[in-house]
Amino acid sequence: MSSFPLGNYLIGLREGLEASLVVVILVAYLVKSGRRHLLPRIWVGVALAVALSAAFGALLTFGPRRLTFEAQEALGGILSIVAVGFVTWMVFWMARHARALSGELRGRIDAAAEAGRASLALVAFLAVGREGLETALFLWSATQATGSGGSQLVPLLGALLGILTAVAMGYAFYKGVLKIDLSRFFTWTGAILIVVAAGVLAYGVHDLQEARILPGLNSLAFDVSDTIEPASVLGTVLKGTLNFSPATTWLEAVVWVAYVVPTMTVFLLRARRPRSTGTATTAPTPAPARAA
Amino acid sequence: MKLVPAAAACAALLIGTTGCSLTESNDPEASGSQGSGTITVDSSADACDLTTTEAPSGNLVFDVKNSGDQVTEFYFYAEDGLRIVGEIENVGPGLSRDLVVRAAPGTYVASCRPGMSGKGIRSDFTVTDSGEDTKITGVEQADIDAATTQYAAYVKDQSSQLVDETTAFVTAYAAGQDERARELYPEARTYWERIETVAESFGDLDPKMDLREADLSPGQEWTGWHRIEKDLWPPASGYTALSTADREKYGQDLLENTKTLDSRVQDLDYTVDQIGNGSKGLLDEVASGKITGEEDIWSHTDLYDFQANVDGARVAYEGLKPLLDVKDPALSQKIQSAFRDLQTSLDQYRQGKDDFVSYDTVTEAQRKELSDRVNALAEPLSKLTGAITL
Repeated sequence: MSSFPLGNYLIGLREGLEASLVVVILVAYLVKSGRRHLLPRIWVGVALAVALSAAFGALLTFGPRRLTFEAQEALGGILSIVAVGFVTWMVFWMARHARALSGELRGRIDAAAEAGRASLALVAFLAVGREGLETALFLWSATQATGSGGSQLVPLLGALLGILTAVAMGYAFYKGVLKIDLSRFFTWTGAILIVVAAGVLAYGVHDLQEARILPGLNSLAFDVSDTIEPASVLGTVLKGTLNFSPATTWLEAVVWVAYVVPTMTVFLLRARRPRSTGTATTAPTPAPARAA
Repeated sequence: MKLVPAAAACAALLIGTTGCSLTESNDPEASGSQGSGTITVDSSADACDLTTTEAPSGNLVFDVKNSGDQVTEFYFYAEDGLRIVGEIENVGPGLSRDLVVRAAPGTYVASCRPGMSGKGIRSDFTVTDSGEDTKITGVEQADIDAATTQYAAYVKDQSSQLVDETTAFVTAYAAGQDERARELYPEARTYWERIETVAESFGDLDPKMDLREADLSPGQEWTGWHRIEKDLWPPASGYTALSTADREKYGQDLLENTKTLDSRVQDLDYTVDQIGNGSKGLLDEVASGKITGEEDIWSHTDLYDFQANVDGARVAYEGLKPLLDVKDPALSQKIQSAFRDLQTSLDQYRQGKDDFVSYDTVTEAQRKELSDRVNALAEPLSKLTGAITL
């Protein structure tokens, strides 16, 4: 093991990307819309998820009991699907405020935004926490190897380096996203989030299929493992960002499409509406204000 | 602030999943009776070497070491090679991670997937029967333990009364008190019949103790309950009564075997499927022997045995009832009312509190009615074990 510990590095990178993408977009949104004061909520959610994952991971690794395979898959699967629910909510929440941002109702909407701030923490918590336990279990096992073997520090360093790379990539993505001009920013980040959420949903479905809560684990819609090797850098990045699985089951594929198509349609229709109606009928459309 | 309850809910969710049914011991050797220890899996670039390909059922621990240079995964599939029994992902190069699965006896497929793609490097794996219960989900372990402990206590209790009653019976018989012996015969056999399926599990004892004349193999010596029965209720002609010495011999033989049985049941443990199958087995005994009147062909005390088999079956069912009420309440109801109907039918033939009429006075039509009731119970009872363990 004198060479670079690529395998462990890639695991760290993948898990890190899975956790950071949603958080990065959320942070970029708050910064872009001038709500920096809400950022601590995000960090609280992230910190809680990291701390809880690490604590439970340690408990299950070193403690007297461990999770069964089914329980772990079910937990990952259910948390993923719950996370999709919250991310979807977030997308439309952002879109609603995006429209208001350009109008005169900004102050009122800001007041309404306060109500959503605990939910923002929850989104961050779920985004990081859904795969946090698996990551923690992996890292603790790497730590265990370090403790027993002495010279086995390399795998752990590799994994940590992977996570750091994911954070760096997240930061670069954040910088890039910030450069998008305001009018397009919300549409782009919303659309990205919908695709990411669909991947998380399919991933959650796959977990539940493995735990045999859902059927059809062995009915593959396609298998491109030979072209996009799961262990390769490309496979890792696709998995980490879009949750793309080279071997996808029919149920995953159907769920992915069934989520993306209607959600994206509704989202794009809403995103377009303010531009078409914004100039002509600014005054008679205070519907959000009445609802709030 | 809403954050606190939200975090609390998440913590509760995580703590909830560390509850008994979703977790398992990190140290299975300490808790189980299996002695195979950990199975080491060496997953390299082109091999998947297991230290053993056979293990006793119960908790299996796989220590998956990745000696290759790609990330690997280890899957433990059912016999079809498709259904995942357990898996461990994200085993980085140079690392090892543990997988614990609870496996029932059967054939499995172990597979390493270096590079996380393809079918993996597969090999067959055999899980032998360790006698441990491995299949029950969705019920509290405490209820399972209560059911098995209670049943073990019941068997021991019946067995010890069987020794007492048999002693009284063979003493009266050896002393030539035939009238007394004829009274004691069906009563003593009650304790045998209630635990007949357990007693029959000792293949060496059962033929010595409970063999019918009609089932004798050529050259086999006839001993036990029915040998004495024939001597107490001899046929009108063509039968030579046993001598006093023979009475002593057959009586002592039966008593010795009864004591051997009693000493053996002291150490017996039961699994839920053994109890469930035992309940059904006792009812099958009724259908195959008692209904026909073949069991006690000389004494015609078949109804005592009939009642005792039903008692034993009901006790076994009632012990499992808390589990079945969780897994399949409708089936539990069905079994319960079928037991009640059968008992009502049987009660027609009672004389006094503990005695039954001679079975040769029960007409064919009445036997048919009893048989129908037995079958009506046998049908749901045959689903008992499966409903609990699957």
